[in-house]
Amino acid sequence: MGHTSKSPYLKYADPEPFPILNKHSHYDHLFEEMHELEEKGEILVFRITEENKPKYVYTRTGRIKTIPTNKLWHHKSCGQCGNIPGYPASVMWFMNKFGLDYLNEPHQTSCTAWNYHGSGTSNPVALAAVWLRNMHQAWKTGYYPLIHCGTSFGSYKETREQLIFNKELREAVKPILKKLGRLTEDGRIVVPQEIVHYSEWVHAMRDEIAQLYEKEGKPKGIDVSNIRVAIHNACHTWKMMADDYPYDPEVYNGQRPAASTAVIKRLGAQVVDYSTWYDCCGFGFRHILTEREFTRSFAIQRKLKVIAEELKADIIITHDTGCTTTFEKNQWIGKAHGMYYPIAVMSDVMFSALACGAHPFKIVQLYWNCSNYEPLLEKMGITNWRELKKEWEDVVKYIAELEKQGKYDELLEFFKKYDLYEPYSKTSDGFKYRRSATSDMPLFKS
Amino acid sequence: MAEQTQVRKYGYNIPISEKTLQVPWEEKVRVIEEVRSDFRFKDFLFGCLNCGVCTASCPSNRFFDYSPREIVQRFLENDIDVLYDMMHEYIWACSQCFTCWIRCPFVNNPGGLVIIMREVAVRNAFEATKDLLKPYGRVLLKVMTTGNQLSADMLQPDFFPDWGPKMLDNMENLRAKRMAIPFDVGKAVKTAWEVSLQTAIEMYQIWRETGIFELIERLDPNLYNVIMDIVEENEERWEELLEEMGEEQA
Repeated sequence: MGHTSKSPYLKYADPEPFPILNKHSHYDHLFEEMHELEEKGEILVFRITEENKPKYVYTRTGRIKTIPTNKLWHHKSCGQCGNIPGYPASVMWFMNKFGLDYLNEPHQTSCTAWNYHGSGTSNPVALAAVWLRNMHQAWKTGYYPLIHCGTSFGSYKETREQLIFNKELREAVKPILKKLGRLTEDGRIVVPQEIVHYSEWVHAMRDEIAQLYEKEGKPKGIDVSNIRVAIHNACHTWKMMADDYPYDPEVYNGQRPAASTAVIKRLGAQVVDYSTWYDCCGFGFRHILTEREFTRSFAIQRKLKVIAEELKADIIITHDTGCTTTFEKNQWIGKAHGMYYPIAVMSDVMFSALACGAHPFKIVQLYWNCSNYEPLLEKMGITNWRELKKEWEDVVKYIAELEKQGKYDELLEFFKKYDLYEPYSKTSDGFKYRRSATSDMPLFKS
Repeated sequence: MAEQTQVRKYGYNIPISEKTLQVPWEEKVRVIEEVRSDFRFKDFLFGCLNCGVCTASCPSNRFFDYSPREIVQRFLENDIDVLYDMMHEYIWACSQCFTCWIRCPFVNNPGGLVIIMREVAVRNAFEATKDLLKPYGRVLLKVMTTGNQLSADMLQPDFFPDWGPKMLDNMENLRAKRMAIPFDVGKAVKTAWEVSLQTAIEMYQIWRETGIFELIERLDPNLYNVIMDIVEENEERWEELLEEMGEEQA
């Protein structure tokens, strides 16, 4: 399938799968360096094994990137969990459907890179320590990290490059990890073989997702063939460390990022092109929170207006936290200037889950969206969305009532059936000593 | 003054604030040297054709007086006054999208240069930086103490009236709605997911070892005090928990 280098972590497609513009990638060289550091005993490469049921994709340099699909450690996104909870829930829903194993535990921080890019109040050593602590935790559990957030993914790729190429960074971060007990027993830093974004997992699983759509979505009357989809690729996935993200001959002959577009095409929806596809969303890290006039102006004028006027699309598909939030929350305000372009916004995995028959509110959690998703549901054939919404609202009422009455045991029993992931059943250290950063009593008792 | 004129021989007449002109030359050189001595600098700046592709595709350029090409050019010409001036407000316009980086034929990384400049601005606690980051305090408090940047309870409709009427609805009966999220650690309200105490304690150690707490103290002493109250309280809880665990094992 490909030709290898002296490193087992670097392999190129042969013949080239599409015209390759960047054949001398500095970034790819890090896989050779990584191997050398491993040989010298400085690092331990956290390898993707057969247990992870690997699949293979191409990067824009023609490198074959290994994507683990099973036995995954969910490295969650603070923006997704805090603001778009149907995003991670959809990923887990698919994993349950495919019978894949995963671990979703509380022993993880954010990457803290949103803060870094927004405020500058961190530094490369702190970022590296946070990343390597999280990776060590995953390694300790034996589950391979799957990074949900685009900024975490971009930041971790960048930090890994800096770590591998700069001895001074390794020397600065190692004593910190030692104090934390986050080195291997023989004193090595744990570095993952590949840094993998959830959208790469969706991309690698697109055939299985399309099969599930045929098997479970279509029989429910769901049809996405007439849905017009505008794709927005997230800057921190494909512009930041650009040589480490999937490209594929089936998506613009390998000249644009393939993730998201490929799965939407595989589902049979209509991917429609627009002139500002390469523009960012206007999120800006600091701007979305404290310079919102910039964020909303950019989102409306450079994206929402263009997508509405050029395409009349039904939905914008994203694959990151910030872009989803930016497009989704900055529509209504456009009314103030006669620039209201209502459109559904959701991530590739949320749309795919809807297509495959996931509950729009219990799983995809569309309730949290501020944009108009209802016309999309109607057009997809999910015409009973009002009843489904009522079902979810009844669940909320039931939970509120049980909590009011202090019936926590009943609540736990309810969650065991309701949740995708049985509460407390699978952390790496059990429930007993579990306390959270905000309370002594985690979950609903906090 | 003669030195300054000499260095700016290729100057583009970019206006420089009075404040910057009053800062001693040696101090400005020291600050710019702090940026240049960062280990990443060599990987972020190469040549420049002055083609302007970076600026043409820059989102911030469309709405702010900001140009990634200027960042690159000023560094190549070592324009100390302009660079020092940029470090107060100019650099904060960058959206950190890195469109400039992927498009530059020389693989310059203006967004990367900006992040080094921001770090140095924060380390030096410039007044403009303090003012600019004031509204960001809530986020800093959350990320420094819990390891999450965002939580459901931060998205109050009062803070986001421009997000529309559905926001009001979302926040009503928030606890029960969060509990209806179908995975256990996602049911948290004060954090994005439930972060374990042990994990937070390790993160505090990282902040201490890497000087992040000191940065915050220089930037906003009041915020620092609030953060440290929470940190110390959590550290005490952790010590108590370790003792309990020790007793149980004994």
